Amino acid sequence: MRARTHGATVGGVMRGGWVSYTLVGLVTLVSVFPLYYTIVMASHTNAEMASGTPPVLPTLSIVDNVKKALDLAPLNQGLINSLIVSGAITVGTVTLCTLAGFAFAKLRFRGSAVLLAICVATMMVPLQMGVIPLYMMMARLGLAGHLQAVILPSLCTAFGVFFMRQYIAGAVPDELIEAAYMDGAGPFRVLVSIVVPAARPAMAVLAMLTFLTAWNDFFWPIIVLSTQNPTVQVSFQSLATGYAPQQSIIMAGTLYGTVPVLVVFALLGRQIVGGIMQGAVKG
Amino acid sequence: MATVTFKGAQRWYAGADSPAVVGLDLEIGDGEFMVLVGPSGCGKSTTLRMLAGLEPVDAGSVFIGDRDVSLVPPKDRDIAMVFQNYALYPHMTVEDNMGFALRMAGMKRPERRRRVAEAARMLGLTDYLDRKPRALSGGQRQRVAMGRAIVRDPAVFCMDEPLSNLDAKMRVQTRADIAALQAELGTTTVYVTHDQVEAMTMGHRVAVMNEGALQQVDVPLGLYDRPANLFVAGFIGSPRMNLLPATVRDGRATLGGVEVPVPAAADGGGRAAVVLGVRPESFRLVPGDDAAALSLEVALVEELGADSFVHGHVRIGDERQLLIVRSGDRGSVRPGEVVRVRPDPARTHVFDAQTGARLD
Ligand SMILES: Nc1ncnc2c1ncn2[C@@H]1O[C@H](COP(=O)(O)OP(=O)(O)OP(=O)(O)O)[C@@H](O)[C@H]1O
Ligand SMILES: [Mg+2]
Repeated sequence: MRARTHGATVGGVMRGGWVSYTLVGLVTLVSVFPLYYTIVMASHTNAEMASGTPPVLPTLSIVDNVKKALDLAPLNQGLINSLIVSGAITVGTVTLCTLAGFAFAKLRFRGSAVLLAICVATMMVPLQMGVIPLYMMMARLGLAGHLQAVILPSLCTAFGVFFMRQYIAGAVPDELIEAAYMDGAGPFRVLVSIVVPAARPAMAVLAMLTFLTAWNDFFWPIIVLSTQNPTVQVSFQSLATGYAPQQSIIMAGTLYGTVPVLVVFALLGRQIVGGIMQGAVKG
Repeated sequence: MATVTFKGAQRWYAGADSPAVVGLDLEIGDGEFMVLVGPSGCGKSTTLRMLAGLEPVDAGSVFIGDRDVSLVPPKDRDIAMVFQNYALYPHMTVEDNMGFALRMAGMKRPERRRRVAEAARMLGLTDYLDRKPRALSGGQRQRVAMGRAIVRDPAVFCMDEPLSNLDAKMRVQTRADIAALQAELGTTTVYVTHDQVEAMTMGHRVAVMNEGALQQVDVPLGLYDRPANLFVAGFIGSPRMNLLPATVRDGRATLGGVEVPVPAAADGGGRAAVVLGVRPESFRLVPGDDAAALSLEVALVEELGADSFVHGHVRIGDERQLLIVRSGDRGSVRPGEVVRVRPDPARTHVFDAQTGARLD
């Protein structure tokens, strides 16, 4: 892989050549464009957007549009709820999947292979199939309409368990764990002191994926939550009411609801890049 | 400090068609340096791991002192282990690596630092205490692994090929260091290696294993001078002992026309065939007119400076046998020549051709 890349090695670190930079630049442009155009659309009326030459620059009217969006839909409530839901799901998923992944990767116990197979097999059951029984369960628990109803079913995912199992199996040599046992550590101590430090990059990736998935989830929250107590995705619904919805307001609201995810990515991004670099050095 | 006793200890891996270690009986004295040696896959590591508690003991038992530890978890056995790849915790400094076990034992930080500093001084690691393992050389990592074991002052050290990742020169140096350290600490040590030179130079006693079974336990020279069977005879010593088929009658074995007196035990029980074992240095080059000698067609001469080893073939019955003979004088033998060699009867080993057991 290295030999083919265009560029030079400086102190063991690969520096991309102009070809790589151009490519990366283009891809970045293409990826950023929708976000940018959301900003543009959020600051122009339907009529302005439909005029012969579409605008390319945002204007300050975006602030008014955000205000209008906030009047129209419980966006702040949605944001807070989404933060609670996504945060709880992320913490739960990363914790439980790391625990389970460690157990499947490194602990010897009867039936571990079968259990893992069952766990992975659940990934093949489509979400839609579980919706009715799940709703009934939540209703019976008295949780329908409450945030717990969104959090509970997503607290642990089969994908996360499998992902952490694979990473831990590869990243933590058995001898390291055996050495810790010999040094007097029990399984939980081994997990905390040996496995978690090694698995941090994978935990960060899983956290980010989980947070994004939870944040963007629409299908289940709209079923189980009401518009009075929505997540942010559900609250967007109230923006698009009326005969001819104002696209600028929808876009402004969407933008308002998207910013927190960008912040989370910016915070975790460093960890993730660190993890990728570490893998590269070891391999 | 403690003794270690294996009583019929057995380990049978799930799915294997024979046990990896078969009913092992072995007693290791207090403060003894015991080396387990044998070819790859003979069950050395498995034996060590049973002692450490990393593998279950499927039958029989393992004792440390007079306590049966067969069912005791590793952390309660008071054993420290040095792994082949060192298994240092990559995210901890040298100091934290060495102090981890003490921390687990609930030792206070000042006492921990003192103990680690002392071990680091013994191993010459004082300047590296703040480094992470990846910033150390192979030899330094090896010493950190040793340090992690000695700070604990455990009842038993287990070491599984701790030198195999070092280069040849470092290995010789570290070999001596470990032996000296063990002598100083006086801690019972079980050391696994597949290298018979390591076994012979380091062990107070050496246990030779093959295919999961213990072959012989003795002091190094005991193994060399009186190997209990053909396997040990062939395994210990380099170049290896010459093992030659011979017939036996009336207290004498006949080896391609040369007669060698054999012990009474070798002759009897209707036995006609034996294997004679003669080490390269137990042959003597004799003048051409000596009738009681074998003709060796020289194929290759290895000059090692102090010694030279003559490789060649002799005719025994209808078969050509490879033979290695040590020659004292350098340059006296050349490839292509035929020389006459005679085994020293006093230093000839006799083995049963069927069972491989030593006869005397
Ligand atoms: N986890 C395992 N599962 C199944 N079989 C195993 C396992 N570990 C070892 N074995 C088998 O048990 C036998 C003994 O293995 P062991 O590791 O004790 O050998 P060894 O003497 O240490 O060899 P080496 O010098 O190559 O390290 C081998 O045949 C090996 O294939
Ligand atoms: Mg081994």
